[in-house]
Amino acid sequence: MKKYLLLVVLFVFSIISCESYRGIKVIKLPVKTDPTISFRIWFKVGSQNDPAGKAGLAALTSTMLTQASTKINSYDQILEKLYPLAADYSASVDKEMTIISGRVHQDNLEKYYELLIQAILQPAFKTEDFERIKTNTLNYLEKTLRYSNDEAFGKETLYQFIFEGTAYGHPEDGLIETVNSITIEDVEQFYRTHFIRDNVVIGIGGGFDGGLVQRLKKDLAKLPAGAPAAVAAPEPEPIDGIHIKLVEKNTRSTGISFGFPISVLRGEDDFYALWLVNSWFGEHRNSSSHLYQVIREARGMNYGDYSYIECFPNGWARQFPPPNVGRQQQIFEVWIRPVQNQAAHFALRAAVRELQQLVDNGMTAEDFELTRKFLKKYHLHYAPTTSMRLGYKIDDEFYSVDDHLKTLSKMLDRLTLDQVNSAIKKHLQYQNLKIAMITQNAEELKQALVDNKPSPMKYSSPKPQQILDEDKEIETYPLNISAVNVLVLKADDIFIK
Amino acid sequence: MKNYCLSVLVSLLFSGCFLCQVNQAAAGIFPYEFQQKVFDNGFKVILIPMDSPGIVAYYSIVRTGSRDEYEPGHSGFAHFFEHMMFRGTKNYPGHVYDRLITEIGANANAYTSNDITCYHLKFASEDLEKVMELESDRFQNLFYSEQAFKTEAGAVHGEYLKSLSSPWMVLNEKLYDTAFDVHTYKHTTIGFREDIEAMPTMYEYSKSFFNRYYRPENVILLIVGDINPAASFELAQKYYGDWQPGYVPPKIPAEPEQKRERKAEVTFSGKTLPILSINYKAMVFDPTDIEMAACYLLGDIVFGETSEIYKKLVIDEQRVRFIGANFSASRDPGLFSIYTMVNTEDDIENIKNEIYRAIEFYQDNLVDEKRLNDLKSNLKYSFLMRLNTAEAVAGRLARLIAMTGNIESVDQLYQSYDKVTTEDIITAANKYLVKQKRTVIVLKGEI
Repeated sequence: MKKYLLLVVLFVFSIISCESYRGIKVIKLPVKTDPTISFRIWFKVGSQNDPAGKAGLAALTSTMLTQASTKINSYDQILEKLYPLAADYSASVDKEMTIISGRVHQDNLEKYYELLIQAILQPAFKTEDFERIKTNTLNYLEKTLRYSNDEAFGKETLYQFIFEGTAYGHPEDGLIETVNSITIEDVEQFYRTHFIRDNVVIGIGGGFDGGLVQRLKKDLAKLPAGAPAAVAAPEPEPIDGIHIKLVEKNTRSTGISFGFPISVLRGEDDFYALWLVNSWFGEHRNSSSHLYQVIREARGMNYGDYSYIECFPNGWARQFPPPNVGRQQQIFEVWIRPVQNQAAHFALRAAVRELQQLVDNGMTAEDFELTRKFLKKYHLHYAPTTSMRLGYKIDDEFYSVDDHLKTLSKMLDRLTLDQVNSAIKKHLQYQNLKIAMITQNAEELKQALVDNKPSPMKYSSPKPQQILDEDKEIETYPLNISAVNVLVLKADDIFIK
Repeated sequence: MKNYCLSVLVSLLFSGCFLCQVNQAAAGIFPYEFQQKVFDNGFKVILIPMDSPGIVAYYSIVRTGSRDEYEPGHSGFAHFFEHMMFRGTKNYPGHVYDRLITEIGANANAYTSNDITCYHLKFASEDLEKVMELESDRFQNLFYSEQAFKTEAGAVHGEYLKSLSSPWMVLNEKLYDTAFDVHTYKHTTIGFREDIEAMPTMYEYSKSFFNRYYRPENVILLIVGDINPAASFELAQKYYGDWQPGYVPPKIPAEPEQKRERKAEVTFSGKTLPILSINYKAMVFDPTDIEMAACYLLGDIVFGETSEIYKKLVIDEQRVRFIGANFSASRDPGLFSIYTMVNTEDDIENIKNEIYRAIEFYQDNLVDEKRLNDLKSNLKYSFLMRLNTAEAVAGRLARLIAMTGNIESVDQLYQSYDKVTTEDIITAANKYLVKQKRTVIVLKGEI
């Protein structure tokens, strides 16, 4: 037996099970050798449930549970009690999922559990906490997101662009005007409506015992019953041609993100085929990425270039995909990290051209086999901890699949080059894209894009003839962009309402 | 459950090809057994077997960082060199190295800070020898063309540009430039802008950098996870044993004692709330130094989430978005830093005075014994809970090992924490948090 098969044991040596209690499902991942206990309490609610005009309400409500007072303790008392335990709990809100997660050493379980369960069942909704959290959110939207991280800004702008008019069409944190309009009463109402017994799934992992599971079930059964709000998958407008949002700000470099919706989710055969394709084309933060090789490695234009078939939030700060950002609608996304402003047009052309070549020619047998070999082991790094593996088990429930991590491995054995190339033809394309660029001199760039003006690259060092020859093709590669499809905005115009 | 194990005895079965073998027997916080050897050429190997089915974390710790960039015009070179290390050798050119790493599904990356350049991989244990062959080869036989060198300079410039969109990057550039006169901590790890832009012209210098710093006496190999120690030592001897010593220590100028407070303002070309950064000159990192341990604790006592000032300014009055402190020492005396984001520009002076008053309080009054004990408990559990994967263990240890050259410093540091008394906190506050050692930077947004 190949030794790497032992790695698979990492995911199966502990018993993973699901059970249901008074309507509350429990996903257990016992790991006897783990001296800590991981909690992931999943509420089936997310930013897609934000009422009209109240974008950001789900996120604000969740933060009011985890970074605010309870009816038992003020927020500073909670911090003081958590402090010697070196433990905390937090909420993460995505489009469709909210997870309240935490981890504690077994030694400190009792003290921790009380605080965690009080946060969920007995939030105080104090005005002073609300004002603090709301002001933090507004500061993030007005200043941090638009002025402190052009990469986050570009990605969020792209998602908003693709999903405008749908329940996915705003950042999870909301929009400046809608957050401003949220009141403490809105928060309490949202909590009563969505943080209900019929919306919760308990995830627990690590060195816990049966008594703790019973206690959790009993305590969370105290949440009121209710009818979960069903939200249909968003249906983004079909994209016709290439549409660009150029966001103007004072910056020395241009961040580029582009993409389009795809209709593939975990559990479908084509998902695994596209997963392999995407790994070859743009594996996140990995020099094996083809885009990385073309744009960074051969030309030294930027720090990295990647692509995705599932959303990958905070990609600048993590190496592997996060769990619990399950979505019914995904996009194919390309992320070109900032390039010098004068190279932006060339970088966009280079990336779209590579996508065209992938769509037109498919993968080679050699690249297919290499990527299969790579992923066979690489995907085993996705979930090294109990908490991460528990997160993946919760995602299995979201997508109704039987152990995604094991399925990845099994599907790698089954996939053929024909299947993969057929999935490329079926799901990927390069003619209909939405593009977000954070840049300076946006009007000038707009004109260059619309006029299909040549964009020759200038290097500070000699390059091999093969690269220079290819550059000649890239610099005039036609993107076919109409002026009416290019929108120039100021940074201050984004995330308003 | 606490699992304070004794560190382990090293086997004496190996041939006498090692300079020494270290047996660690003292009880400490570090919960895993380890073994270490120093080869004749000065190369140290530390092995930590742990329950990590089939997975190995492999950390090559170069005890060189931006601190070692003492020659004018060469700031940022340690980080740039980290990039060049992925350009391959004659045996395994960059694209071949990349392909082999891809074939084994390894996660490979690197980082640089002021005191360390660290190359790390995570992979299946069956691939240990292949990784060791590749890693030892690039550390001993790095080879790249001037063209490849210049191309990589472009990628580094791109990394610098991407960082510039953060006000924290702008703040730190100003802070270190202001706080230091001659020591190399004057520049940030990525380097001065003009030096980064001149990097493509420094091909010859890059070879000298490699020859001086990438030597066995200056590199420590840390392997954690599913490993057989005896076999791993044999492999290390096979692949690193012939590496020629020749480390040339950098001539880092000593920073003269700071005798007056320094102040500066900097503008960020975007929107941000003002950031106030108050800093004090610190000491050399020494895990046995109780005074240093007291300073580490002091930062959290005065400015942590359970401090009076946090409660007042963040929670009750909501005059700042956050406040925090980073009181950690470095290989040479660096900075203890307090940072806060202030809601309104008009309030900056008042917040500054609140911070000074908070410090003065702990210069005059003993910290509550319970708070001190809570903090020690926090440190202990924070440390233990983060040691949950091979990569996490290696990652947590790497910086400490880079600063001291040994793994024993982990237990020593936590033993020092345990010994800190309330009186030690007062002494540290009065010795280090004084006006003449202070540098204050205010960053404001342009619009």
